[in-house]
Amino acid sequence: MTLAIQGIGLTRRFGGFTALDNVDIAIRQGEIRGLIGPNGAGKSTLIDVLSGRARNPGGQVLLNGVDVSRLTPQQRRKRGMARSFQRTNIFPELSVEQQLRIASWAVEDADTDEVMDELDLRALADRPAAEISYGDQRRLDLALALVGRPRVLLLDEPAAGLTMEESLDLARILRDLANRWGVTVLLVEHDMQVVFSICDQITVLHLGRSLSEGSCAEVRANPTVIAAYLGTEA
Amino acid sequence: MTVAAGDVAPRVKTRRGTPLLLVLGVAALVAGFTLPWIAPSKVAMSLMAQSLFDALLATSVGFLVRQNGRVSFGQAAFFGLGGYVFAILVARSLVTPEVALVLALAVPTLVAFLFGLVVARVTGVAHAMLTLAIGQALYEIAFRWRELAKGDDGMSFDLPARLFGLPTRGLQDPAVMVVLAWSILVVALLGLKLFSQSRTGQIAAAIRDNEERARFIGFSTTLPRALVYAIAALIAAIAGTLQATYNGYIAPQMFHWSLSGAALVMAIVGGAKFIVGPAIGAIVLFYIKDLAGQFAEYWPAIVGTVLVVVTLVMPEGIVGLIKRIGGLGQRR
Ligand SMILES: Nc1ncnc2c1ncn2[C@@H]1O[C@H](COP(=O)(O)OP(=O)(O)OP(=O)(O)O)[C@@H](O)[C@H]1O
Ligand SMILES: [Mg+2]
Repeated sequence: MTLAIQGIGLTRRFGGFTALDNVDIAIRQGEIRGLIGPNGAGKSTLIDVLSGRARNPGGQVLLNGVDVSRLTPQQRRKRGMARSFQRTNIFPELSVEQQLRIASWAVEDADTDEVMDELDLRALADRPAAEISYGDQRRLDLALALVGRPRVLLLDEPAAGLTMEESLDLARILRDLANRWGVTVLLVEHDMQVVFSICDQITVLHLGRSLSEGSCAEVRANPTVIAAYLGTEA
Repeated sequence: MTVAAGDVAPRVKTRRGTPLLLVLGVAALVAGFTLPWIAPSKVAMSLMAQSLFDALLATSVGFLVRQNGRVSFGQAAFFGLGGYVFAILVARSLVTPEVALVLALAVPTLVAFLFGLVVARVTGVAHAMLTLAIGQALYEIAFRWRELAKGDDGMSFDLPARLFGLPTRGLQDPAVMVVLAWSILVVALLGLKLFSQSRTGQIAAAIRDNEERARFIGFSTTLPRALVYAIAALIAAIAGTLQATYNGYIAPQMFHWSLSGAALVMAIVGGAKFIVGPAIGAIVLFYIKDLAGQFAEYWPAIVGTVLVVVTLVMPEGIVGLIKRIGGLGQRR
């Protein structure tokens, strides 16, 4: 079993508050892992720690077995780890095409055409990102992470604020890319329909701890998970 | 290419090629030789030269705003530094005039680069205050350290007879200086344009736009930023060295925050979003001041009014307004 990305004992404190408490996570090559949990559970914090956004977190991050804990976000990106953000995080004044092209320069001048086609951004190529619709901006945000076919993709609620139809569309694209490119995905998502439809495995976070981990069926049947999270959905 | 249906007008991309840019540049250089004939008198020519020094300084601070998204209230620091390094080295014959010139440009550039490395993450008011502090610190040194360059009296100095084998007498002749300063301005603007189209320039623009995301798509964000500080300082240093050479005189006012502030106003009035904006703003303001003539004592009030009007009516400055009018015309 090859692990694409692994976190060991990940911990993150804000003052006296522990947002992430000794969390272990291990994702196999090519897997789509769902990361769910109530608001404030520490999902974004986990992605921040894995991607290097959090400063001085506790624990270890291994990318394809190599310790990257001390690397900067840009170094992790060059080694094949990419992420998107919960709040849209794009280059508002640059055109869609220009920012994708710039993103490609960091990863050996990767092909930007394929990303534009996969995410249906071609018609918007010349528009400044600030001017395109919210849904388009979310796809652009994802596209920025996808340039250069990263091996590990950390996605923080890529479908946040999208319509049901758009979310399912996005889920289909992700599933498809994971299959074709063999990219490993950690997906934070509140919509259970999306999660259950594309994820191979699910990790449930609650109050900064890993509450449960397993297949969709296992997680769905887990009484603690129902109590802590799924129950509140109904 | 099809354009998605909608209420947005199709955006026609007019990416001017580099060849066209070079043609424009050469035309501007040639046109520069007519400047001495346009000016009605020596005094007018001298004013013209001064307006071109201003244009270079405004270009410098405008470029910082455009490429780094940073506002500086101390860009005159590099202007003064250029002038002082050159004048002091030449006056004391410490090095050959050629070395003095190189150092006059290199020292401010290097200082700005280091400054850029250190303050890369500092934004907004804190950044403005830091730049102000640097300018004023140098001003105080120049003002108080009499042994350096006669303190607040300022220091006259004689140009070396020759520089790179060429006679220097012409450098204090307004007709020559106008053509020289104009040519340097044109080359500087071309250089900045080419830089902003280069990879590093585009990466710097991305960093300005969203530093965090720039890091997460794989770029180190400190170096491109520092480079922009250095380039901006180089242009300010060129302006300062030119002015010192032309006047044969340096004074602490070359560092003063009021000069930095004036340059910033010129950049904003002309349109800091555009590479030529600040230079146009500088020249326009310079001639408004000249026209104001007897009202010159109210100059600060006039500038204030112009600034308010520009900010409210044309937030992208003169060039922004011209482009907008041009754009409306094109749409038919
Ligand atoms: N910079 C910060 N300073 C202090 N506390 C923080 C900071 N960032 C996050 N937290 C806290 O850490 C906890 C976990 O936050 P996190 O954003 O990881 O939750 P989440 O699971 O992503 O929630 P959501 O579903 O709302 O996005 C929350 O209680 C949050 O208030
Ligand atoms: Mg979150």
